Amino acid sequence: MPERSIRLGQVLAFIALMAGLVLLPHVLSYSQQEVLVFLVINVLVVVSYRLLTLTGEWSLGHVVMVGVGAYASALFTKKLGVPVPLSMLCGAVTAAAVAFVLSFPLFRMKGFYFLIGSFAAGEIIRLIWKRFTDPFGGPKGIKRIPGFPDIEFGALSIDFFEPVNYYYFCVIVVGLALLILYRIERSRIGLTFHAIHWQDKLAESVSVDTFRYRMLAFVIASFFAGLGGALFAHYVGTVNPKLFDVEQMVYVLIWAIVGGTTTFYGPIMGVVALTIINEIVLRSLGVDEMRPMFYGAILILSVLFLPTGLESIASKVKAWFAGSSRDKTATG
Amino acid sequence: MTTSDDSKFAFPKMDRREFLSTTAAMTVVAGVSMPQLAFGADKVVKIGFLAPLTGDVAAWGKPGYDGCLIWADWVNAAGGVKVGGDAYKVEFVAYDNEYDPAKARAGATKLIKEDGVKFVMMLGGDTWPGVEKIAAKEGMLFSTLLPSDLTPETKTLLAPCEVHPIYNVTGVEWMAEQFPDLKKAVICAQDDALGKPSVATYLAAFEAAGIDVVDDPLFFDPATTDFAPVMTKLLASKPDILCLDTCYADYVHPLCEQAFQQGFKGKIISCTMDFYQKVIEKTSQEFMEGVIFQFPDFDDPALNDAKVNFQKPNEFYAEYAKRYGESEWGAVSWEYASIMDLWADGASKAGSVEPGDVLEAMKAGGKGKHAFGTADWWGTELFGIDNALVGDWPVVVIEGGKAKIKGFKSIPAWWAKHSDLMVKHFKALGQMYNQR
Repeated sequence: MPERSIRLGQVLAFIALMAGLVLLPHVLSYSQQEVLVFLVINVLVVVSYRLLTLTGEWSLGHVVMVGVGAYASALFTKKLGVPVPLSMLCGAVTAAAVAFVLSFPLFRMKGFYFLIGSFAAGEIIRLIWKRFTDPFGGPKGIKRIPGFPDIEFGALSIDFFEPVNYYYFCVIVVGLALLILYRIERSRIGLTFHAIHWQDKLAESVSVDTFRYRMLAFVIASFFAGLGGALFAHYVGTVNPKLFDVEQMVYVLIWAIVGGTTTFYGPIMGVVALTIINEIVLRSLGVDEMRPMFYGAILILSVLFLPTGLESIASKVKAWFAGSSRDKTATG
Repeated sequence: MTTSDDSKFAFPKMDRREFLSTTAAMTVVAGVSMPQLAFGADKVVKIGFLAPLTGDVAAWGKPGYDGCLIWADWVNAAGGVKVGGDAYKVEFVAYDNEYDPAKARAGATKLIKEDGVKFVMMLGGDTWPGVEKIAAKEGMLFSTLLPSDLTPETKTLLAPCEVHPIYNVTGVEWMAEQFPDLKKAVICAQDDALGKPSVATYLAAFEAAGIDVVDDPLFFDPATTDFAPVMTKLLASKPDILCLDTCYADYVHPLCEQAFQQGFKGKIISCTMDFYQKVIEKTSQEFMEGVIFQFPDFDDPALNDAKVNFQKPNEFYAEYAKRYGESEWGAVSWEYASIMDLWADGASKAGSVEPGDVLEAMKAGGKGKHAFGTADWWGTELFGIDNALVGDWPVVVIEGGKAKIKGFKSIPAWWAKHSDLMVKHFKALGQMYNQR
């Protein structure tokens, strides 16, 4: 009986979440809808980053993989005339392929050395974008990237330049991506990632090829990061090397740390909470110039008072509900 | 006497924690949901300010916004901008785009669709491509400080103040006239959208002046923090002239420090020397003596010349220094305000604040009242469109620890003689509008 009610609760929560996602843009202003589009893309970026951290490795090159997807998708469309939806996929595949190649030198390192190695690899890629004006556009990057094509169904016309329409498109793409990432984590492969994180020597002793699994996590994470980049590039219409520098990577790290990386939803909570605070609340208060200071203060406070991240709040709420339902069962 | 506790209107008891949390929540909700208050019954025109107010490039946004606030206070105190039979008070709405095209896009939509602005001023550069489509779709009038954003398609984008980097030719021309013995130059710049066209301009200007650039321009990564090796490499060829191109203030300062520490004795020329007093503090007054750049302090008496269109420049500088501090004066402190002078003039002429009408009025007759004198709408050969306002530009030199205008030089006159050199170097660095 309690199990059935928990499942019912989950179904209701899922329906409420879907309804919320559908209705959300309609209660926001136009510019907040723009922020919402970027938020959805950033959710994919930070959740894909978490997949890599499951193996215990923290990379400083993840945002560059977002950039690889963005650049590749832009170039497939602009130079080769590939239709945008297909080029987005090609961008994601390119990011995965670059990650595959980088795995060979990078996974010869672990821990801090991997962190530095991933930063160096990312910087090499960024310097290539800057150095080779043809085809990467040099420091200015690539401009006038075609947007997602409009859809015409008789009288129905969907213009994806409009943030609401692109938001729905992103929600579908990112939703599917999150589902796949969630299933991977819950699969045998995901459990192996965890095993490598906590006991890599023990995993090796039972014939787990840790190199291959680390590479797999890196490739999958980069595929979805690249997909996020492609979604970004075809919406904003421009990419340049500065958009994917280490400063942006620090933001991804902050989202992950503030949200927490123990659970699937932790980084999502981080990116959602910090984006709302930074882009909606602080801007609305008219303190544009002081936002970095507030942002820093929030980060420090969250580390001091929520050392395991925002996800610990959700865990406490869950535990409280579980406790109260147990009490009811006991008294009933 | 009645205390709040025994009054029938007493608030329910609230502990400190409840009070704090409720107050914080109310503050946030109020901030999010309350509309901005408008000026009484006067007509108000809103102007968007979409530039970096935080981050690496804030030095080219924030001081400009501060200058605009002075401009608005003065114009509003004088009764506002006269448009048709009405007087409009001017209200600036700022959005910090952090020099990020995605944030610039969100900012542009907010300013246009929610705030109802009639004109948007930007720094431009990396942020313009994020806004370009919205500008075209909405027909909104935009301005940029970087005419390299101009293309034949950017019909509602103007570069009405700073035709960066073309005015840099005036500094080189003046230097060559005053110091004909200086013949060997080196150039460095950050490897980005500002650095490259500026390098192309300096290369053309040096060639026109008969000055050899003895080494390839040194492009350093914008993430560079250690400038010692950069300067060592530059000084290895023993140049007479050290050209700092259009480096951001965060690079100009350490580059000057390194040049000082490594014993450079030649002439420094730079596009900007923002917050130069701080550089003097880090080096010495003697070392910085004679440094040439392009952006005057507005307390300079030379700006009181009758041909200068900027309103009350000396008083503007004094007010700026009073409000924000003299050391906070930078290259852009006056620029956005001078664009507002042009916009106000255009709106008055058009009898309307609507973007299309003002654009037409601003460009009417092919001439405009640029801050430093009447200038021409120009640019087809370099930008594919005549949306850049070009005329005279000042050459500034540090003398006795203070920036002083040494003269005004004509950009069109230089262009008439050396346009082929400029086009050649722009093409070589891929900076022509059809290459970008």
